[in-house]
Amino acid sequence: MISFDYISAADVESALRAASTPSSKFIAGGTTLIDLMKLDVERPTTVVDVTTLARRDASLAAVSELPGGGLRLGALAHMSDVAWDPRVRDRYPLVSQSLLLAASGQLRNMATMGGNILQRTRCSYFRDTATPCNKRDPGSGCSAIGGFNRTHAILGTSEHCIATHPSDLAVALAALDTTVQVRGTAPRSIPFADFHLLPGAHPEVETTLRPGELITSIDLPAVSFAKRSLYLKVRDRASYAFALAAAAVAVDLQGGAIRGARVALGGVGTKPWRSHEAEAVLVGKRATEATFRAAANAALAGARPHKDNAFKVELAKRTLVRALTEVSA
Amino acid sequence: MQPPNIGDIAPDFVLSTGRWLSDVRGAPVILAFHEPGWDPARADEIEGYRHLIQAGEEPQRVLVSNDEPAAALYGAARESAVFVLDGRGRIAWRHVAGIDPVESAAEIAALGLQTNGDGVRTAWSRRGFVATAIGAAVALTLEPTFGRAQTAAAQLPSGGTTTGAAVGDAVPVTLNVNGQTITLNLEPRVTLLDALREYAGLTGSKKGCDHGQCGACTVHIDRRRTLSCLTFAVMQQDKKITTIEGLAASAGATGDSLHPMQQAFIEHDGFQCGYCTSGQIMSATAMVGEPWGPGDDDVREAMSGNICRCGAYPGIVAAVQEVRRNGGGQGR
Ligand SMILES: Cc1cc2nc3c(=O)[nH]c(=O)nc-3n(C[C@H](O)[C@H](O)[C@H](O)COP(=O)(O)OP(=O)(O)OC[C@H]3O[C@@H](n4cnc5c(N)ncnc54)[C@H](O)[C@@H]3O)c2cc1C
Ligand code: SF4
Ligand code: FES
Ligand code: FES
Repeated sequence: MISFDYISAADVESALRAASTPSSKFIAGGTTLIDLMKLDVERPTTVVDVTTLARRDASLAAVSELPGGGLRLGALAHMSDVAWDPRVRDRYPLVSQSLLLAASGQLRNMATMGGNILQRTRCSYFRDTATPCNKRDPGSGCSAIGGFNRTHAILGTSEHCIATHPSDLAVALAALDTTVQVRGTAPRSIPFADFHLLPGAHPEVETTLRPGELITSIDLPAVSFAKRSLYLKVRDRASYAFALAAAAVAVDLQGGAIRGARVALGGVGTKPWRSHEAEAVLVGKRATEATFRAAANAALAGARPHKDNAFKVELAKRTLVRALTEVSA
Repeated sequence: MQPPNIGDIAPDFVLSTGRWLSDVRGAPVILAFHEPGWDPARADEIEGYRHLIQAGEEPQRVLVSNDEPAAALYGAARESAVFVLDGRGRIAWRHVAGIDPVESAAEIAALGLQTNGDGVRTAWSRRGFVATAIGAAVALTLEPTFGRAQTAAAQLPSGGTTTGAAVGDAVPVTLNVNGQTITLNLEPRVTLLDALREYAGLTGSKKGCDHGQCGACTVHIDRRRTLSCLTFAVMQQDKKITTIEGLAASAGATGDSLHPMQQAFIEHDGFQCGYCTSGQIMSATAMVGEPWGPGDDDVREAMSGNICRCGAYPGIVAAVQEVRRNGGGQGR
């Protein structure tokens, strides 16, 4: 790890000022940043600690009510606190579940909402500075295409990068039409669908967050049927592993008919993968296995598997069918 | 100070060239701490050392007098020591006089591995590389003649000696650990785990993976279980840190008596080699205070961030369940 200047920010303004130097990084829970700094994948020369901001403004680390029935998740709120929050568990079960199925008890006590949606891919080539990787070292090539790519993405890939977005929370957020609140030169709101970018020709640019901008909260809108929602995660071991496939679903069920649906997939996309295609198949149909299967086929219609991850196409379909079956039961 | 362990990032310092040790990453580095006044040029007389210099993938040599401040960073103040750093700046092998035992016959024999029958050097194998370093170590530490050379220090063909400059950017960091306030001089990049183990002498918290994947480094910060390997010590000032050393006292135990969770681990065979155990126990004592369900499966899920390579899981689950039945005994 290279040496760096450490600045602990007293308030948002000084945090923004400190982060305006090139090659600076905010640090919250540190569970992505320090991990990657140890590998020399991240090499910030200034590290701005934002955990101290909550001392001045506790709402930055809290869950609070929004007018109109939504919930605001403070950017510095810990995964564990949000996961166990009674309002989140009751009104947005998929959010609570996506958090409890992620990482470990210790990591969830450290990691934050803002850091979670900005976590970097677990592509092993990205983490190894001895191998080419367009995301880490633009233009150097992609070692995963043609390499070992069992855990890589099948949706949203490009010829430059096929890395999976690893966050579970982000998949639940994608299903809900969430908004990311940001402070920079001016405050702005970023619709969640616009927050993460497809790799395209520039896999090194992962979000529309501008350098030096600070996430202050993630806002969950009121979704009348979000109470009937589920996050289902399939992985290589029973716990403490990233998703091979995951589904975040919510359905509005009236007498066996689907009036509204939300579907997002994890573990298979280069970004948290909202599937409007699956939703379009579901709405207006009866909640039967045939309907769910048709929705799953629609969701994976654009899948482009590589050498080692073709199994993910069927795995993702079955994961979605099972999630829809369970949530409709 | 204790020398860094194999696998650790080599502590950084400024070389005589003005570059940092971390700047020479990319190639292996042989870092030797020698007696003041020892002539590094005479290292060439050592068969192994000549191989090092002739190697195709030439390792950098960094020779430092053991009275330089950098020697203290490596637990080598006034001691002979050799460290082999891999291309990423991690310690791949070490020999510190007085700490690491030397089986000289075997090691000198190992030196022979790098030449074929005709005495011609074969491929630069990792094994040969390490064996060569061992040879250098043996020469430096066991051969008094090499340590007491008459000649003044010569110019080095590569690498260099330290300038004696202090390790940059250390700041005073005040931590509250197990009810005691300690102030350490640390660079911001020192993790809480390294601060506890290498600077505060609290080696109960273990380094398994150093990347958040195993749970061996679990401590409590403000009563919550966290991973000390993924946070910087400088970020944990003004917090209450509890490690395995202070766990029993935090729950009111006195003298040598144990925390109920420690006792339960013993009674239920919750460990075998013990490497993961302090992390398991710190995790378990905090988990008892979290809103998990009552079943064995809940314990398995809640404890999944603590890996046990010995597979002592059934005993761990039994120990945690016994403590939960008896009403907790959570430590701080
Ligand atoms: C062993 C292991 C297993 C894991 N398993 C899972 C899993 O199964 N599922 C899952 O979803 N995740 C998993 N994770 C990832 C974990 O959830 C993330 O590392 C964590 O959420 C990141 O949050 P943080 O607060 O620690 O971020 P940090 O490491 O502090 O920051 C991450 C990035 O976000 C930036 N940042 C942080 N906060 C802000 C802000 N407010 N505004 C702007 N930028 C900000 C930082 O500059 C940095 O670039 C795992 C991690 C580990 C180490
Ligand atoms: S998949 Fe993306 S992150 Fe992985 S090696 Fe290729 S470019 Fe790098
Ligand atoms: S050493 Fe911290 S989790 Fe492994
Ligand atoms: S007891 Fe050996 S690793 Fe757990």
